Amino acid sequence: MQIFSFLFDRHLEKTVLAAAIALSIFMLTRTEDSRIASARAISSFLLYPVNMAGDYFSSVDELTAENDSLRVLVVSLSLENERLTQFRDERNRLRELLGFRNDFFFEFMPCDVIARSSSTFHHSITVDRGSESGVLPGMPVVGYRGLAGKVTQVFPSSSRILLLNNKSMSVSCLVKRSRVVGVLAWERGNLFSLDYVGKEEDVLPGDTLVTSGLGRVFPEGFPVGTVFQVAEEKTELSRRVGIVCMTDLNKLEEVFIVTGGRDWESGEGWRELEKDSTNKETQKAEKEGGGDGQ
Amino acid sequence: MTYVLRIILVSFLVFILQVTLVHNVTVAGASPDLIMVLLVVLVIDRRPITGIIVGFLLGFLQDLGNASFLGMNALAKSIVGYGIAKYGRDYLPDNILFRGLLVFAACLINDIITLNVAISFDPAEVIVAFFRYSILSAAYTALLAVLIMQIIDIIPRRMVRSGGRY
Repeated sequence: MQIFSFLFDRHLEKTVLAAAIALSIFMLTRTEDSRIASARAISSFLLYPVNMAGDYFSSVDELTAENDSLRVLVVSLSLENERLTQFRDERNRLRELLGFRNDFFFEFMPCDVIARSSSTFHHSITVDRGSESGVLPGMPVVGYRGLAGKVTQVFPSSSRILLLNNKSMSVSCLVKRSRVVGVLAWERGNLFSLDYVGKEEDVLPGDTLVTSGLGRVFPEGFPVGTVFQVAEEKTELSRRVGIVCMTDLNKLEEVFIVTGGRDWESGEGWRELEKDSTNKETQKAEKEGGGDGQ
Repeated sequence: MTYVLRIILVSFLVFILQVTLVHNVTVAGASPDLIMVLLVVLVIDRRPITGIIVGFLLGFLQDLGNASFLGMNALAKSIVGYGIAKYGRDYLPDNILFRGLLVFAACLINDIITLNVAISFDPAEVIVAFFRYSILSAAYTALLAVLIMQIIDIIPRRMVRSGGRY
């Protein structure tokens, strides 16, 4: 204690000076490599804020450059968009002249998946939008990359969606490149087959499959999957076309219900479908009733 | 705290000036030691302990620029800082010329220490280098220090006259 008192009370200045000199001599007596390494470490520590500021300003430069290029892109895309809009209007006018219906744009309603069926073959999900949001049975449902299924049951604030990998679901599709039509059927996992494709039909691995619009269940042109395999069937009348679905149906967290479109917008499509199915059921019931009578 | 931050900022600024601009204002191979000027300005009215610590830190900062002699300037400037703080105010009149002389002496002591360390205590070479470079550099630094101190003295007076406003 007396030593400390001697050093820090009576001779504080000399003690500090001796410590500074000792520290300096200690640094001087180290090897050159060690001195350089220490200096580098201390310099990088001291200059860290400067480096940070430098990085910030360099990132500002990069962002400014990126912003400039994006501005150019926006201008060119705006011009292209304007041009394409003119083409669309022209196309619609020509279609009108020829008696076709006008082209349309889809409207999408985003939904969160709130439940998932546990059944092995009857894959379905429940989403957080229902009749209160304008959802109708039969509306197509898409994921981020392509078709996912269709609405089958609608409740006030939720809806049940039958997914493509449900055994009872079959979707009329066509190969985008060659316009070959087939029916999509689930096999396992995210793999499907395109049935009723003739032996001579032009289908190649890598082709994109889109909805055909036939049957008016799904609108035309939604991407469905990609052909990954084309093989001859044993019967030699048709080909076995393997499809991998674009949407990962087992990992759906958000989906979009297609609410707008040509006929779909006014709900005519859904009502027609409903009417058709009611008529069919009535006819079937009448037939069965008539058969009983006989 | 603000004062300490200001000192740190000024030290970095002076260090940057020392390593970037001073080479452009050499006269006959002699260049001013701005860090020495800063040391004198900072510690002349302070306690010796402050002089040692500020001298050590400024010297160490200078050493970081030349890691081969890490500790050399820290050693020299801590001793010089102690000397300035201990004897600068008490034994020298409060006169700008004497302060210039103090800077001159401080530079010479600093150079004696650093030359001895750098040339491994070879007296002949130390003397040659001392007379060849140190005296001229010390004079140059002292002249610059007088100018800087004069400016530092004028600015507060003007501030007082203008009521602290610019």
